[in-house]
Amino acid sequence: MNIYFGLQTATQQFADVNLWLLMPELIVASAGVLVMLVDAFTKRLDQRWLTGGISLIGLVAAAVSCVWLWTSWTGPTEAFFGMIVLDRLRLSFTLVFLVVSALSVLLSMIWVEWERLPAGEFHALLLFATAGMMLMASGGDLVMIFLGLELLSISTYVMAGFRRTDVRSNEASMKYFILGSFSSAFLLYGTALVYGATAMANGTPGTTNIREIAQRLDTALYPPLLFAGAAMLLIGFGFKVATAPFHVWTPDVYEGAPTPVTAFMAAGPKAAGFASFMRVFLFGFPFVVAAGTAQRLHSAWIAVLVVLAVITMTVGNTAAILQSNVKRMLAYSSIAHAGYVLVGLVAAGAASDLGQRNEAIAAVVFYLLVYSIMTLGAFAVVTILARSGDRRTEIEDYNGIGFDSPWLAFAFSVSLLSLLGVPLTAGFMGKVMVFSAALDQGYVGLVVVAVLNTVVSAYYYLRLIVVMFFRERSGAWNAPLVPASMAIALALTVVGIFYLGIFPGRVIEVFQASPSVISRLLGT
Amino acid sequence: MFDLKAYLPILLMFIVAAGFAVSQVLISQLIGPKRRTPTKLMPYECGKDPVGSARERFSVKFYLVAMIFVLFDIELIFLVPWAVVFKRLAGPEFGLGTLMYVEMMLFIALLFVGFVYIWKKGILDWSQAARQEAEAEAEMLAGQSGERLRRAA
Repeated sequence: MNIYFGLQTATQQFADVNLWLLMPELIVASAGVLVMLVDAFTKRLDQRWLTGGISLIGLVAAAVSCVWLWTSWTGPTEAFFGMIVLDRLRLSFTLVFLVVSALSVLLSMIWVEWERLPAGEFHALLLFATAGMMLMASGGDLVMIFLGLELLSISTYVMAGFRRTDVRSNEASMKYFILGSFSSAFLLYGTALVYGATAMANGTPGTTNIREIAQRLDTALYPPLLFAGAAMLLIGFGFKVATAPFHVWTPDVYEGAPTPVTAFMAAGPKAAGFASFMRVFLFGFPFVVAAGTAQRLHSAWIAVLVVLAVITMTVGNTAAILQSNVKRMLAYSSIAHAGYVLVGLVAAGAASDLGQRNEAIAAVVFYLLVYSIMTLGAFAVVTILARSGDRRTEIEDYNGIGFDSPWLAFAFSVSLLSLLGVPLTAGFMGKVMVFSAALDQGYVGLVVVAVLNTVVSAYYYLRLIVVMFFRERSGAWNAPLVPASMAIALALTVVGIFYLGIFPGRVIEVFQASPSVISRLLGT
Repeated sequence: MFDLKAYLPILLMFIVAAGFAVSQVLISQLIGPKRRTPTKLMPYECGKDPVGSARERFSVKFYLVAMIFVLFDIELIFLVPWAVVFKRLAGPEFGLGTLMYVEMMLFIALLFVGFVYIWKKGILDWSQAARQEAEAEAEMLAGQSGERLRRAA
């Protein structure tokens, strides 16, 4: 074979590079590089407003370009020969990531000052991690998804160990690094097996392109390899989004990492993991009617995910009850929420009808948006109350603070109630949408388990509220001052929780809407 | 029997490579200036005493230099295949010259940003002044964590 095989077609398709489709990612990555340079050339003390400002401007610009792609892009929907795709899944997830990242920047601006950490390095890492998350959502190829994942993970490993004189932070970083690399290895092994399994009888090598994988499932030469590869991919993503039984790293890492970083990790990388999870499993191993390898693979992964969802919800909620540390409790709560999202993923996977599948996908994205906002709100309050060095994170530290700093306690209560899923809050709408999508597919038992779990979770969410308002303060305590940027972040989360809880229609419509791009995707 | 004639170029390459290495060492031994200091006479000239406990702490700068080495090593690894196919891809057959050039320049520019960053951050500065600065910062941080521990106790 000619060693230049493939270049001929590459030239013909050269117009398909489509740099415009990569606009949001490019903007965020360039902002990251710019922040790095600003960090190198300015004094440490006055750089945090500068780097934080540049980060926010970059994120807003990326959001604008994302909306522009959504509403007015009329070009092709694939870039870099299928490496980057443009569809609703990608754009809606990208917006979620940008919201998470912007809130994290607001949270961290004063915090870096408290901890005397280099703001520039932190914001640059945050932006690179965001670029990685966006690539995970936009990758149409397993290799691209892996690259995005590594970009995200490496930045997050460093951020977890950012308070480098603190042993807990170091431990968190080390654990996250080792288990993260472990799960990346699973993912990569799965990719390799799927590549091998999709080789064709006529000598065409395998493929890592998700759309082509879906087309080759039934003609796969080695179906067992395909199943093993899919299982490896499932384990890899399971680690990343912290589903039981792959969740054991989560509590330790979330507890040890600095609280703003924990907030970011609980919201961003989890959503990014689900974005890739859905991309690979919904589009790579989709529902098919005809009996064959593809059909067996589909029913196999759906069955596995049902079991995973049940275990994850139950383990997360049961373990959260036993925690005495707020950060650990929220870590287990994040595991439980991963279980609720899995219910939506099962619904999206099982949907035989394209419209129903898109509704389920929109429900999952909506749930992750809601979950990100309420988790960031909760961790923002934890950051403020813990003060420098994360000193006050035990539940006793929250005794009776409700009346001393009512606004903080109010914001925290709203976030917790939303995490619990009380009506009028966003968490309720998220749960309703995800569970109803599962009911549409006939997963009554799964939904019953999920609702029972929600009831169990009431215990530990409400306990914190009770502790804040109805317990006596034992020691002396003075209410912390809330810096302006954190107040903005908190106000945004509270407003977001109520807005999404009372008027969810607009956002859901946007996530479900069929803009020109989507209609063309379905049309062609 | 195997026909070993085909492997002659490989043998020649081995001889040339070995000869090059040996000749370089020999030439510098023969004509290089010799200022022998105790440090230089130690087996490994990294400023570390090779005899003694292996559990010695050494400067984190060694790691930083190793990482920077990897960075520029990778750059070189990417440059070589690019240079190999450049002529063909820039030729009339494909006509991708401008694209290939711009892409590689972008790549190098990004690496250069990294270089500027490590330079400004003082990774390449091993002078006494930089060392004192770093020690002062380490002391400040240690003081902070000590204070934190006392407060926690």
